[in-house]
Amino acid sequence: MSADRPVDLPEILDGTLLQKPVDRRDALGLLLGGVAASVAAVGACAPLNAATPEERELKLLEWEEFTQKHYRRMTEEERAETIARLERLAKLRHNEDCTIATTDAQPGVLFGYAFNVSKCKGYRRCVEACINENNLDRHQDTQYIRIFEMENGVVNLEEADPTYQHEVPAEGHFYLGTQCFQCANPPCVPVCPVGATWQEPDGIVVIDYNWCVGCRACMAACPYWARRFNWSAPEVPPEEVNPNQHYLGNRDRKKGCVEKCTFCIHRTRQGRLPACAEACPTGARVFGNLLDPNSEIRWVLAHKQVFRLKEELATEPRFWYFSD
Amino acid sequence: MRRAPRATTAICLVAVAWLTSGCQRDYVRWDQPPPGTAVLQIDSATAASNAILEPGVLATVQAVPVKRWKGPGNQPFDVALRSATPEAGHSRVFGSITLPIALRSRAAALSQYPCTSCHQGRKVVMANQRISDAHNNIKPVHPDQTGAVCSTCHSADDVELLALKSGERATLDESYRLCAQCHFEQAEAWAGGGHGKRLDGWEGRRVVMACADCHDPHNPAVQTRIPFRAPQLERTGGYHP
Repeated sequence: MSADRPVDLPEILDGTLLQKPVDRRDALGLLLGGVAASVAAVGACAPLNAATPEERELKLLEWEEFTQKHYRRMTEEERAETIARLERLAKLRHNEDCTIATTDAQPGVLFGYAFNVSKCKGYRRCVEACINENNLDRHQDTQYIRIFEMENGVVNLEEADPTYQHEVPAEGHFYLGTQCFQCANPPCVPVCPVGATWQEPDGIVVIDYNWCVGCRACMAACPYWARRFNWSAPEVPPEEVNPNQHYLGNRDRKKGCVEKCTFCIHRTRQGRLPACAEACPTGARVFGNLLDPNSEIRWVLAHKQVFRLKEELATEPRFWYFSD
Repeated sequence: MRRAPRATTAICLVAVAWLTSGCQRDYVRWDQPPPGTAVLQIDSATAASNAILEPGVLATVQAVPVKRWKGPGNQPFDVALRSATPEAGHSRVFGSITLPIALRSRAAALSQYPCTSCHQGRKVVMANQRISDAHNNIKPVHPDQTGAVCSTCHSADDVELLALKSGERATLDESYRLCAQCHFEQAEAWAGGGHGKRLDGWEGRRVVMACADCHDPHNPAVQTRIPFRAPQLERTGGYHP
């Protein structure tokens, strides 16, 4: 099996099939066949003989959800329809009364984050707040934030411990938290084969969970391990669901899609702080608008010595670390 | 004989490098203090005009550049001189910070507030500077190195005021004025946004926690705690850095 040996690929794989001339009769036949197959598929999962009106409605809505457009191609009306459908689906599936926002980015806003390494004491209150705020899967124990415990003197993530479980802060150690850095040059975006992930004008990298096909290419591309995969449908106890949701943020995810930190898009686009920054008991997390010269984040960038992780990769994270 | 000049040069170079690196490490940002050095201080007119804004927030205070770090008698304040050189010591500045800062009211957090419910006409600080039985929950460990007593921070005459070294007095909500006398680096970072916790969101009015909201004034060091649970690796497929 040498590498230079020619390989016979089937037509469908080497691309020659699409270049063959196809006459009108064949094309029509293919088209009609496809339509017939679709109708059959609809019939198979269609709600025609569902037992109750709720089941019937659920199956209809699921079919509509399956065929919905890409979020960025929706008109205002289609967005409103989609939101109404998703809210109804959450009610039917999980008996949740949630509101899903589609708030767009504010003009003149670019979000940035700073993390004070000498203030973080490793309490993981941010992790707890993130799980509750973003309706993260309790079964899989999805966590967007990792807090690394490291020995004083050097930032070495290779030998850092993200799974410490003892009284903190430990003597001779410091703590450094990672999450999605909302890179200005995000390597996860161009690798998506279906365009399901993109960067918003305020710098937040988001995912259309309904458009994601679950190939996990973005997870492989991210040098910071910031993305999480839903190996199963996320499970959140009904009484713990956060009903304040955003289409691009913490709404109900499906099995087999990728999710990530969005700087709490449903909160920050309303002027609030991300849940992690609000929960931090030591004030180690600084969040703000990079385009506002009076913001706290700009003060930190101007007055503190800051660094970013893996700067040599030119991903330009909008997440800086600093110390007192 | 040919090695002697080289050795001397090397020693000189090392010595120069050592001295220079020491200076830079400590004062890289402060070698040229800007003119009009400033200290964060309440502008009382501003504070009065912006009186109580909402429950829990006492007043919006304006940080205005007013004076250098000087102690009583217009002498450089001795605590500020802890840093290496006198020049660098008292020329540390807040800069001209003009952001309005709203503070949480301290009263809600005090279990025995208002103080006048007990201290009716009495002096706050006892003559022998011992802690009375009514406050036996206080185990002061700070400031411990300087031989401090109650009246170092508390006004001896008025129960609900703090005594500043300048002779001025501050309310309990203005703990940052008291703490900033020694912890000027932290106060500077706090005024700018690099220290302390912001409360009400990233845009609009800035409401921050003051020093005593997080730090117990009598025991300000950070305490150890049990953290929130660690991620369960077997469920997420493991970690890599």
